[in-house]
Amino acid sequence: MEWYWAGALLLGCVMAGMALGIPVAFTFLLTNIVGTCVFVIGRQDSFAAFIDRFLLQVPQVVDNAPQLITSFTLSPIPMFILMGSLFFHTGLAIKVFDALDKLLGKIPGRLCYLTVIGGSLFSTLTGSTMANTAMLGSLLVPEMQRRGYSKHMSMGPILGTGGLAMIIPPSSLGVLLASIASVDVGALLIAGLLPGFVLAGLYAGMITLMLVLNPDSAPSYEIEPTNWSEKLYQVVVNILPMGFVIFLVIGFIVLGWATPSESASFGVVGVVILAVVRRAFTWEAFKTSLIGTIRVVGMVFFILMNSTVFSQLLSFSGASRGFVGWATGFEVAPLVILGAMFLVLILLGMFMDPVSMMLITVPIFYPIAGELGYDLIWFSLIVLMSLEMSATTPPFGLLLYIMMGMVKGTTLGQVSLAAAPYLLCDLILIIILIIFPMLALYLPSLMGG
Amino acid sequence: MEAFDKALEKVVTALAYLASAFIPCIFTMIVIDVSIRTMGVTPPLFTSSIVEYGLLYIAMFSAPWLVRQKGHVAIEALVSILRPAVQLILAKFMYMICGLAALLFSYFALQLFLDAAYSGQLDVRGVDMPYWAQFLPMTIGFFLVSLEFLMFLAGLRHYYSYDLSEIKDEV
Repeated sequence: MEWYWAGALLLGCVMAGMALGIPVAFTFLLTNIVGTCVFVIGRQDSFAAFIDRFLLQVPQVVDNAPQLITSFTLSPIPMFILMGSLFFHTGLAIKVFDALDKLLGKIPGRLCYLTVIGGSLFSTLTGSTMANTAMLGSLLVPEMQRRGYSKHMSMGPILGTGGLAMIIPPSSLGVLLASIASVDVGALLIAGLLPGFVLAGLYAGMITLMLVLNPDSAPSYEIEPTNWSEKLYQVVVNILPMGFVIFLVIGFIVLGWATPSESASFGVVGVVILAVVRRAFTWEAFKTSLIGTIRVVGMVFFILMNSTVFSQLLSFSGASRGFVGWATGFEVAPLVILGAMFLVLILLGMFMDPVSMMLITVPIFYPIAGELGYDLIWFSLIVLMSLEMSATTPPFGLLLYIMMGMVKGTTLGQVSLAAAPYLLCDLILIIILIIFPMLALYLPSLMGG
Repeated sequence: MEAFDKALEKVVTALAYLASAFIPCIFTMIVIDVSIRTMGVTPPLFTSSIVEYGLLYIAMFSAPWLVRQKGHVAIEALVSILRPAVQLILAKFMYMICGLAALLFSYFALQLFLDAAYSGQLDVRGVDMPYWAQFLPMTIGFFLVSLEFLMFLAGLRHYYSYDLSEIKDEV
């Protein structure tokens, strides 16, 4: 079978299954069975011969399924999600936001800036975009509405900043991407740090611009003045201790004291210690955090397990190799192909969740990127940025739905419009990364040294 | 059927709790391992192997509970615009093929489990792990997943957000 028919069959099965509403993990599982029947078993002389081969080959699919999932590099994923969950359920996150709130004086749009600062800080403490958006939304949207902020000024910064957790370490999706694409997990996590903060700066700039254009969208209001000693107290008691957790995760990786897989566990222990010291730790909060974590991790790992064989089938059928040869055969600049891959991710993101997108595109895109001579850490960051953008593009952007769930009576159109200026910031960062790749590669190069 | 469903709920919930219990075990083991290493003492070799297998147990032991909780992500955008009668047919079709596929995987996992147990095959990792330990959670997990889909097929629950109970009469 020609590679394009093979690719069309495998990708078509996945797309059709998803469109029919079959859960993503089971879509991959069923595609694996179909793919094995077509490519591994093939045409047989009789039905009995086909069944014989089926009984011989499908156990091989079951045997191969745990290959990717039983990998130590995936162990940070539950830890990064648990960290964020613990921060939220123990109330530590709210304490940080209260402290940041007291530090900001009476400035127009202060709650928008609080979103960006708090969201960026929380992104260094959690690996989950959903947790970040849900936490920012539940904490700040009611207050913004009470203060008369317009819908686009209350929802937009949260949608933008919520996605920061995807690139600022620790990032669960970063670990997942690195594991699937076989790139250095630690290098990818660290590579997201500087671009993440640049993006936060772009968001703040966008808020300022929007306030200049429409000052009434985030009216200024009177706040209780906080003296310097109170501000200092808030910084020392509520904000600086977060540095301890950040050091345990990011510092341990940079200093080479622990691998990313190991530092994530220290991060969880750090949060637990912090919660105990602040007398915020309860077994109920711990239990709720664990259940919340298993909900996300179980779903992601089950998809991952069922998609392992899908990547192998893409390769076995010749589709991956065919795609690479086809894409690199055009006499166009590598940037054009990069642009095409970016567009594919954005288009897929309109209908698919980030994990499924990764599993479908990584086996095809990474060999192409490698062939074009792109640094795979840099390329992974571009992919993560694209995934971040796709999470806020209609009609299936996950973060849009989280926001709609929190702001009752909002339409998908309103939420999408609120997110649009921040998508522009994401695009600007991608352009900056293309022009200055060292923004992403500088910190990993220090690790290498 | 409802009594069976209640019993099934207890089993899948217990397994999901067991899956969540693996997480603190994993981070405790890793922290102890790194701390021992930092003190200059050779850490136990089994940590990485146990963690790696733990991830598989997390995936497989939480899978049936997630089916019950409708926690496996599915895209409803396209199906939600179809006529209710078509939605019901599609939903039943989905429950059936997912249940059958899970049952098939459970059967083959059991076969692999028994083969590995009889042959004493080992999985070479940080420490050699019994190969059957990979297929035990798969056999249990996939079997319970197939039972969960059977409950959906029997009409005890609905996986999708649109309420199919309202359209039963129409069909």
